[in-house]
Amino acid sequence: MFELQNVEKRYPGVHVLKGVDFRIGDGEIVGLVGENGAGKSTLMKIIYGAVRHDAGNVLVDGVPVSFSNPRDAMKMGVGMVYQEQSLIPNLTVMENIFLGFEKPFVRFGAIKWKKMAEAAGKQLRKVKLDIDPAMITSKLTFSQRQLVELAKVLTLEERVEGKLVILLDEPTSVLSKEEIDLLFGLVRELRGRASFIFVSHRLDEIVTLSDRIYVLKDGAVVDVMNSAEADIETIQKKMVGRDVNHEYYREDKQRPYDDGHVLLELDHVTIAGRGNDVSLNLHAGEVLALVGVEGSGREPVLRTIFGMKKPEKGTISIRGIPVRSFSASESVSHGVGYVPRERKIEGIASGMNVFENMTLSQMRNYSKSGVLRIPAERELARDWIRRLSIRVASENSDCGNLSGGNQQKVVLAKWRSSGSEIILLDHPTRGLDIGAKEDVYEMIRDMSADGVGIILVADTLEEAIGLSHTIAVIKDGEIRKWFNCQPGSKPSPYDLIRYMV
Amino acid sequence: MVGVTDIKFLSPENLLNLATDVVPLLIMAVGMTLVIYIGSIDLSSQSVANMATVLATVTLPVAGAASALVVMAAGLLFGAVSGIVTTRLKVPSFIATLAVGGIALSVAQYVSGQQALHMDAGQRNHAFGWMQGSTAGIPHELVLALVIVGVAWFIQNRMTAGRVLKAIGTGEPVAVASGIRVERYKILAFALSGMFAAIAGLMFSVKLSGGSPTLAEGFLLPAIVAVLVGGTPLTGGVGGVMNTLIGTMIVAVVRASMLYLNIPATGQQIFFGLVLIVAIATTIDRSKMRIVK
Repeated sequence: MFELQNVEKRYPGVHVLKGVDFRIGDGEIVGLVGENGAGKSTLMKIIYGAVRHDAGNVLVDGVPVSFSNPRDAMKMGVGMVYQEQSLIPNLTVMENIFLGFEKPFVRFGAIKWKKMAEAAGKQLRKVKLDIDPAMITSKLTFSQRQLVELAKVLTLEERVEGKLVILLDEPTSVLSKEEIDLLFGLVRELRGRASFIFVSHRLDEIVTLSDRIYVLKDGAVVDVMNSAEADIETIQKKMVGRDVNHEYYREDKQRPYDDGHVLLELDHVTIAGRGNDVSLNLHAGEVLALVGVEGSGREPVLRTIFGMKKPEKGTISIRGIPVRSFSASESVSHGVGYVPRERKIEGIASGMNVFENMTLSQMRNYSKSGVLRIPAERELARDWIRRLSIRVASENSDCGNLSGGNQQKVVLAKWRSSGSEIILLDHPTRGLDIGAKEDVYEMIRDMSADGVGIILVADTLEEAIGLSHTIAVIKDGEIRKWFNCQPGSKPSPYDLIRYMV
Repeated sequence: MVGVTDIKFLSPENLLNLATDVVPLLIMAVGMTLVIYIGSIDLSSQSVANMATVLATVTLPVAGAASALVVMAAGLLFGAVSGIVTTRLKVPSFIATLAVGGIALSVAQYVSGQQALHMDAGQRNHAFGWMQGSTAGIPHELVLALVIVGVAWFIQNRMTAGRVLKAIGTGEPVAVASGIRVERYKILAFALSGMFAAIAGLMFSVKLSGGSPTLAEGFLLPAIVAVLVGGTPLTGGVGGVMNTLIGTMIVAVVRASMLYLNIPATGQQIFFGLVLIVAIATTIDRSKMRIVK
């Protein structure tokens, strides 16, 4: 039996896990659900030893343990099947299975491949995969690799005493229906050998496969349900924590957009490497949400509009003028702004202060023959710090030390102050706490009232529905369905999900 | 330490000499700073300086003072080539500059015919004699060096280009996502580094009244040490030109002390090599480099 008692985890500025209790019995399949940012991935990392908890206990069969790395966790029988697969593509299947544990096969410093192949074959039979263990991993299909990964974790069976705990992180996200059935069948059969923690966004699968379901919200377990009694709607309500609140997304401030004023037009655009066909119109004052599952092709659309990717076919027109050369600097000069998903990597330059960050996209306006007008930069920063009530000591503070919400405000101020009329928001509220989220919603409404056209890839469906005028549901890189999203007649998440999966 | 054992070491006169001796190194290190500031490195500086000494000596009889422009243009060109190879062809800067340095060295060997050349004293004094003079006891060479440092400082702190270099050093993806043409500025940094190296070579050549493809030998390591000891880490983004000024002073004092203690020149490189390793190991921001290859 594996147990977490009152586990706490803090990162600078965020309380990620708040006293989580979690228990999994031998042979049990437990589902773990929660919105993005609810703390799922941190919880998993603590379980498989990639992250250390700050307080509380981790118990294996009632004995407190402490994992300082995933290898420690493996020694206690805890293994992880990664979502982004962890197999090394240019090694053979058997090398991958025994990576880091080659010792039993080594004689006089050399590996006895025959012995390893035999052992690997035995592991592969556990997952019913009939392939040559000496095959190069990159030649396998995605689902085969997933099974190899599972087989790799199952080698723990021979190495450790006691039962295994195996984490499955979004294992079904890229599998076909048949492959999913196969995987589920296998997991049920393997219950005799291991217990499973199953993490997925697909609630129907969670309900089908697991015995019990933990619902995580804002770093705390809000409910534990028996699957037999659980239904998707209740789980969803628990995940969000309330009925969707109109006030929260500032729906009262949603004004109709200017139908006659098209800022951006995509005409049968084929995004590089996707072979799809996207057409859309963005009007002044419109918030257009792109909705779809992870990997459905929302981000590539944003990056293409921003000029970081070159479309294969079709035309992108900004204010009616077709774009000819594609680069970020070209787009910026046409008044396109981009708030990237990875704030710390692409959004904020930590090590640079507030005014340096704000003028990064518009230095031409703050310099004369290459010499910066630093007093004007400072003035601008002070102005926006006041307007957005950014909490910083001064415009000279290093942006790396700001909280996520304040960093995001700086990024938004960067584009707003340079007069961008088309703003692309990729997960603008990712990792922000509730207060900061509401500030961002407020700013989106303000921009929209000023006639800025916004394309939004939201963190959650509710957010997309609450904020947008128009929703485009994307699946496999193509827009499958358009929804009109006027206050009072907004679609429900279910309406959207039907077209997403 | 040396100052305690011999009070003369710290006399203003001696310190001034010390500073003047280190001028070519300082200028090379300032150029190097711009490249390290963006998280790259320039290993071609020494070879470009070597080439500059040869080109200066060869062109002096023809071009007079304008030979300085020829030399600077050559340095700029070689630096720009390094920059283009790094950004467009995506060759890591240490390899790109190593290769360009090899080319520069070959050019120096070819032009010089593999031998030490000498400047005609009259021509030299006519074109660059002012460099060797001094006003109120302060050598013009030193003044010139400080002016060059000042220019570099201005570029770094007051100009758009410097701001962009900082952004590249702290977070290149941010600069890209802000619509900055990052590649151009990286090429600029390499080109400036090449030009500064060439100026360093030129001044060294004037000082020694000649040129040879091995004249600036032993400059590279101290120049990198000066940048890193000054406080610009290999990952870039912090530090800068003024740090390098201090770093160069430290290198100068250490070098003079070693001379004073009768440590042969051959032994000095051992010391600088060790200092370099220690300086990098203690200052590098490991969060920016999780895997080192």
